[in-house]
Amino acid sequence: MKPKLIIGIIAIVGFTSLLMYNFGNSISTYVNFEQASDMNSAHVVGSWDDSKDHGFSMETKRFTFFMKDEAGNVRRVVYPKSKPNNFEQADRLVVIGKMQDDVFYADEMLMKCPSKYNNAEDAQFEKASAANTL
Amino acid sequence: MIKFLGEFFVNAALLSAVLATIGYYFHAQNEDDSDSRYFRISNWLFGIQGLFLLAASGLLVYIILTHQFNYYYVYNYTSSDLQLKYLVSAFWGGQEGSFMLWILFSILAGLGLMRWTREPYRGPVLFFLTLTQIFLLSMVSGISIGDFTLGASPFRSLAEAMPNAPFIQSNPDFVPQDGKGLNDLLKSPWMIIHPPILFVGFAMMTVPYCFAMAALWKQKYNEWVNPALPWTLGANVALLTAIFLGGYWAYVTLSFGGYWAWDPVENASFVPWLLGTAGIHTMIIQRKSSTSQKASIIFAILAYVAIVYETFLTRSGILSDSSVHSFVDLGLYGQLVVFMVAVTGVGLGLFFYRYKDLPDQKNESKLLSREFMTFAGAMMLFLIGLVIILGTSSPIIGRLFVDNPTPPEVSFYNEWTMPMAMVAAIMTVLGQYLFWKRQDAESLAEELTLPVALTCVVTLASIIIGEVRDVYYMVYLLTAWFALIGNAVIMIRLIMQQPLLIGGTLSHVGFAVLLLGILASSAYNSHLLDDTTKRYNDAIRSGEVTDEDGLRVTQPVNFLELKLNEPKRVNDKYVVTYEGYTLKNQERPGQQAYRIKFEPADGEGEQFVLNPQVYPMLSTSTAQNIQWSVDPDVYSGLLSDIYLYVSGSSYVEQRNEQAKEQAATPAAASQLDSMETQKIKIKRGGTASIGAFDLELKDYKQVADDELQDSTMVAVRAELNIIQRGSDSAVSVNPLFSVYQKDGKNWSYAPPVSIPGHKGTVQFSNIDPSSGELELTFRGVDQEVQEQWVLLVAEEKPFISVVWLGTFLLMGGFSISIFRHWDRERKKA
Repeated sequence: MKPKLIIGIIAIVGFTSLLMYNFGNSISTYVNFEQASDMNSAHVVGSWDDSKDHGFSMETKRFTFFMKDEAGNVRRVVYPKSKPNNFEQADRLVVIGKMQDDVFYADEMLMKCPSKYNNAEDAQFEKASAANTL
Repeated sequence: MIKFLGEFFVNAALLSAVLATIGYYFHAQNEDDSDSRYFRISNWLFGIQGLFLLAASGLLVYIILTHQFNYYYVYNYTSSDLQLKYLVSAFWGGQEGSFMLWILFSILAGLGLMRWTREPYRGPVLFFLTLTQIFLLSMVSGISIGDFTLGASPFRSLAEAMPNAPFIQSNPDFVPQDGKGLNDLLKSPWMIIHPPILFVGFAMMTVPYCFAMAALWKQKYNEWVNPALPWTLGANVALLTAIFLGGYWAYVTLSFGGYWAWDPVENASFVPWLLGTAGIHTMIIQRKSSTSQKASIIFAILAYVAIVYETFLTRSGILSDSSVHSFVDLGLYGQLVVFMVAVTGVGLGLFFYRYKDLPDQKNESKLLSREFMTFAGAMMLFLIGLVIILGTSSPIIGRLFVDNPTPPEVSFYNEWTMPMAMVAAIMTVLGQYLFWKRQDAESLAEELTLPVALTCVVTLASIIIGEVRDVYYMVYLLTAWFALIGNAVIMIRLIMQQPLLIGGTLSHVGFAVLLLGILASSAYNSHLLDDTTKRYNDAIRSGEVTDEDGLRVTQPVNFLELKLNEPKRVNDKYVVTYEGYTLKNQERPGQQAYRIKFEPADGEGEQFVLNPQVYPMLSTSTAQNIQWSVDPDVYSGLLSDIYLYVSGSSYVEQRNEQAKEQAATPAAASQLDSMETQKIKIKRGGTASIGAFDLELKDYKQVADDELQDSTMVAVRAELNIIQRGSDSAVSVNPLFSVYQKDGKNWSYAPPVSIPGHKGTVQFSNIDPSSGELELTFRGVDQEVQEQWVLLVAEEKPFISVVWLGTFLLMGGFSISIFRHWDRERKKA
């Protein structure tokens, strides 16, 4: 075999494996609060627990609410932005962030909102864009 | 009737397309079809297909404009209060209509190909183009065979589209009063022109695919690049323009705070552009030196495959968990898979079938040759595209690693694409120096001395001025400046000699400017904060702040809170003042525009005012629960933009409380009597203030209304203007004071009038005839003055203009190249 061909193959294999390795590291799976406790950036799926307090505090400038994950754990979630649009309508939430003790600090939030008359699978996620709180 | 006609037209178009394809096949296969009989018949069928589709589109526009809400499409994407421009754009606002628009542009491309393409390619080229149109038309056909429905017709009725909706089950002929309306975020002029331009790009990018397939079919692997080049370049300009419009819309309308977020839908238009650009590079090399035939064909195929694949990703519903704005599944999943497999399978299948026959490169090109450099540049673009496809495909490919995968972190895209872009930047210069002149290492080194020296000086200067500490950024800057200076030198030389040929170098200069813009705009992005917040954030960073649970706070505060007319100094650069809000002359009902004044902190320079807006989203709001949305405002300076949006305000808070109260006690008005009462005296033309209101008595007049009782002796109506402080919108109320006689006695009749938009009532309770003073009684108006405030998220974004400049230069470069290649082709014809 020609040396050029070998170098080429090595380069392709090296590039691909490094790329896939890095890709595998940069994605994760959706988890619940308990699994999230030892993760740095966890995606937790759940729904808003509206039986408990929620709201934006003007003092700390944070939005806090309680969320129930798919395993049934309820945890307080702190979100350093204002309450997103459609928060009340969302039937599923994804919070992305980190667990600290029993509080989840979300950096980002996605909301899945049911459209009015369609079936559940017609629902769509929306990234939390800014909205008004309070 | 319309429903029947509409579906008939769509399916007639589909049938014509099928027949035209058969005709084109015969023409392409029979070398002896010398009188082009089949070809001419197929062209007629193709034209008829276009007319049918035009008729169907006309009907769709007609039912949208006449608000026929019994059609699902009209119900789902429009409402009767929509402005004309948004009604027209609703045609391509949904999936079904956007497929139709795509086909319409594809038909236009077909007409152009008929006119300008020569033998032996024109038969097969039109065959493949019509084939793709069959697939696209099948997406909107709506024919049912048993349980299977082919595509989703834009003319289907509500009952067909949502059989499970409660109102349809109770009455299948139900026609809603109004539609769901267009998403408020899409009500932007940018969003009207963005989709059509994108579909022009999609339609034009089909053409190189068709030419590549024709070349494989006819085994003529060289000549096709000449006619294919202008089409590919055109597709590229259209895609780039669409990407730019999308990015600009995201920047000025969405509150995500940037022009690019690696969202799957953004990637969907970017990857075909990258692959198309790779194809352009190899086609140019093939034209010049008859090499890279394989690569040109494969890139032309892959660019279109990428379009179909990303169409699949965004329209099959597969990304609905990870994208901000992908479409939901219309039941087209299976059909999209078939489309994708067919395009890929036929394309790559024919390629590998002919692989042995494809010309081999006689002798390998040297490292320092224009062939090698250009080819390597194309490979780089291809690899960047591959990385982005991989990231975008995370819902599918990610399953190799985990169940139920999340999208990759943004850093995955940045860390892979940016270094490759840096390598590509260096290649543009080497490639250009080798392109115009054969060089060896020595002569190249000599020619590059000046650009390299200049690059070093400029890079050093920008490192010092920009206070760059990061080595990665330094290398990045070096490559970007090298690309800019190197290509600029070549461009200047070309302008002196052959100005028509500068397309390539101009594009490369644009690419370099874009790289500089990306770095500068993302590395120096900063939130505008006052000193107190900054100190607080410093404390958070050093771990000194704990919250009510005793946990360390790690997330910094990025809000700017302003009180009415109290200036605040931010970032030592600006003095910012909240000057109130207005409800007047707003585009959307209930929208507030806030007035935020910026003055330079040192007193020198221009002052400017930003008007971010907040509005209730009518489609999801109820009287008890208002859903607010925001529209950011951007001040575009030459060097930096100020970008801000309102995150909360006292007005919004007040409205929410009112809504809540209304929900809790609908009969609250009856309790007003027990509420706090305040009386004031005021003269004609006088002003007074009460609670959070300023009021002015404009006038009072004796009136003779017919609603008054017969025995009324005197009736006076006051004209009162009530203004909430901080707002410029006055409400006018006209309370009445009247005296009438009953049973020989004088009685006064003065009903309390509620203050529109606010709590409380005002009553014209007495008049003093001697002094002319009126007595007004206010009930339920808070005596306590509520402070007016606004909570902002404000950012300073430097050098966004450089990003736009780079994009425009790229567009300009590609456009010049279109003219050059088009001109040459036309002269041949």
